[in-house]
Amino acid sequence: MLYYIGAISLILIGMYAVLTKKNLLKIVIGLSIVDSGVNLLFISVGYVKDATAPIFSLPSLTADKMVDPVPQALVLTAIVIGLATTAVALGLVIRLYDHHKTLNINKIRQLKW
Amino acid sequence: MEFSPVLYIAIPLFAAFLIPLLGKVSKTLVKLTPGIVFLYLSYGSILLFPKAMEKPIVQVVAGFKPPFGISLYYGATAAFLITMVTIVGFVIWLYSYKFIIREPIEKYYMLFMMLITGSTGILLTGDMFNMFVFLEITSIAAYSLTAFLRDKDGAEAAFKYLLIGSFSSTFYLLSVMIIYSYTGTLNFADIAGKIDLIPPMAKGFVLVLVLVGMGIEAEMFPLNGWAPDAYSQAPSPVGAVFGGIVVKAGLYAMIRIVFLFFKTPEVMQFLIFMGILTLLIAEMAAMRQHQIKRMLAFSSIGQMGLVIIALGIGTMGSTSAALFQMFNHALIKSLLFFAAGYLVFHSGSKQIEDLEGLGYDKPVTSFFFAVGALAIIGLPPFSGFWSKLLILVSVAKAGDIAILLLILTGSVIEAIYYLRAVVKLYTRKEVPDNVRRTPISGLVAMGVLAAIILYVGLYPGVIEKWLAPAANNLLNAADYIKAGLF
Repeated sequence: MLYYIGAISLILIGMYAVLTKKNLLKIVIGLSIVDSGVNLLFISVGYVKDATAPIFSLPSLTADKMVDPVPQALVLTAIVIGLATTAVALGLVIRLYDHHKTLNINKIRQLKW
Repeated sequence: MEFSPVLYIAIPLFAAFLIPLLGKVSKTLVKLTPGIVFLYLSYGSILLFPKAMEKPIVQVVAGFKPPFGISLYYGATAAFLITMVTIVGFVIWLYSYKFIIREPIEKYYMLFMMLITGSTGILLTGDMFNMFVFLEITSIAAYSLTAFLRDKDGAEAAFKYLLIGSFSSTFYLLSVMIIYSYTGTLNFADIAGKIDLIPPMAKGFVLVLVLVGMGIEAEMFPLNGWAPDAYSQAPSPVGAVFGGIVVKAGLYAMIRIVFLFFKTPEVMQFLIFMGILTLLIAEMAAMRQHQIKRMLAFSSIGQMGLVIIALGIGTMGSTSAALFQMFNHALIKSLLFFAAGYLVFHSGSKQIEDLEGLGYDKPVTSFFFAVGALAIIGLPPFSGFWSKLLILVSVAKAGDIAILLLILTGSVIEAIYYLRAVVKLYTRKEVPDNVRRTPISGLVAMGVLAAIILYVGLYPGVIEKWLAPAANNLLNAADYIKAGLF
């Protein structure tokens, strides 16, 4: 339960940052926090208390003493994707800074939002 | 060699990573590669299409049987849409051949191939998380293509698209997570069988997450703020890519999930409602635009609204009409973007006012624009006429006159602003003599599209006979579950 609360508050913090901050870099950081929150939430779904990695390393180890490996595999993929998105976002921020010489989103808005 | 559906994903992906290497050898090779890929994929479509119409082909990847492994589901709907993607992709390549002259061209073609990989992946996959991965591949390629021109508006549009797009994928990932935590599976067919394990509250939440997540890609109101900027700031062929490929894949994903898991009358009512809102608001916004590409973007959103309405009606007739409309819209909107791309290039301005007189100066390009405009309004003898007619007939059969009237209102608004643009084109005015000509590859691309539009308009039977199995495949969840789990 604690894990869920922690992960969900991370998501909310990230969303708050994206929605209220004016600095492009802070927005990107917010996006990245949202990503981490979702990943943590996903991991906690597969978490089993006092369980270990799902590898048959000991004869006494049974399936109910293992965590669910599927969310971990998925989160691994999601982390990589999140990294790629962040990289593209930062690339765009650099481009925007080159053109406008500012990171303030209010001064950049030329297109209609 | 046996052609397997997995090649639809593997070949463009392979080409995407081959292109930078080829770029070291010769630029011509880079330019030719996507064309070869599309020709090969259409060859595959010719082989597989009839088979998929009879019985869905389910391909198991890496030897894990469903529901454990990732399976590809090449059913009638997927076959229909993938064939459409291949045709549109091929034409976009033809057009790009001379349109994208600015370096780095190998990056352009690489991203284009990634985008094709992602979209065919979304259309093919039978696994919920896998769909997320392909959604992200598509989006990341799309963000980068939006900013391809390196100007400041392009970067801004791309950043906006990226913000909205990453929210959409986060929402979708959350919905995957909730479904997994209750059902313990990620296979679409398996989830559909176990959907009652999810308590109603959580189910409603999942539905909202999916609608928001995929609605952004499918340009559903009010989630379509990214579209006009991205369409108008990206290079013209990329506008066609968005309208013809990305949006269609997103809509397919949304509808597939809704029809498999949440097909209740209330949800369908809600879809119709959102469709109407999307249609009317987008058409009115399009009316107010002064830039030609923004106008096309809003019109594209409106057309998606029309498709969503038809899907929301949910009868056999309306679903096949919706698929027909998706096909037509992909072709016609690409034609319009192609023509608009060169019109903007010739006039040197994105404003509709500055198109005045180009109809005489650049007769062929303007003619193609006019053909596209008439086709999208839904005038005979073009293909747009039949799909719009079928949608109207199916709405009338469902007995909802109010919806019928609202669709007609939307169509009238659409007709007004398209005709306004066409009339501007053919207003006589002295234009300074312009030596730039539309290159032959662009003309061929537009010619091919116009020919298909006209041909389908004269003989709608060629497409119509495939619509019934495709619609059946989309509507009939029980068949999908049976085929998906074998």
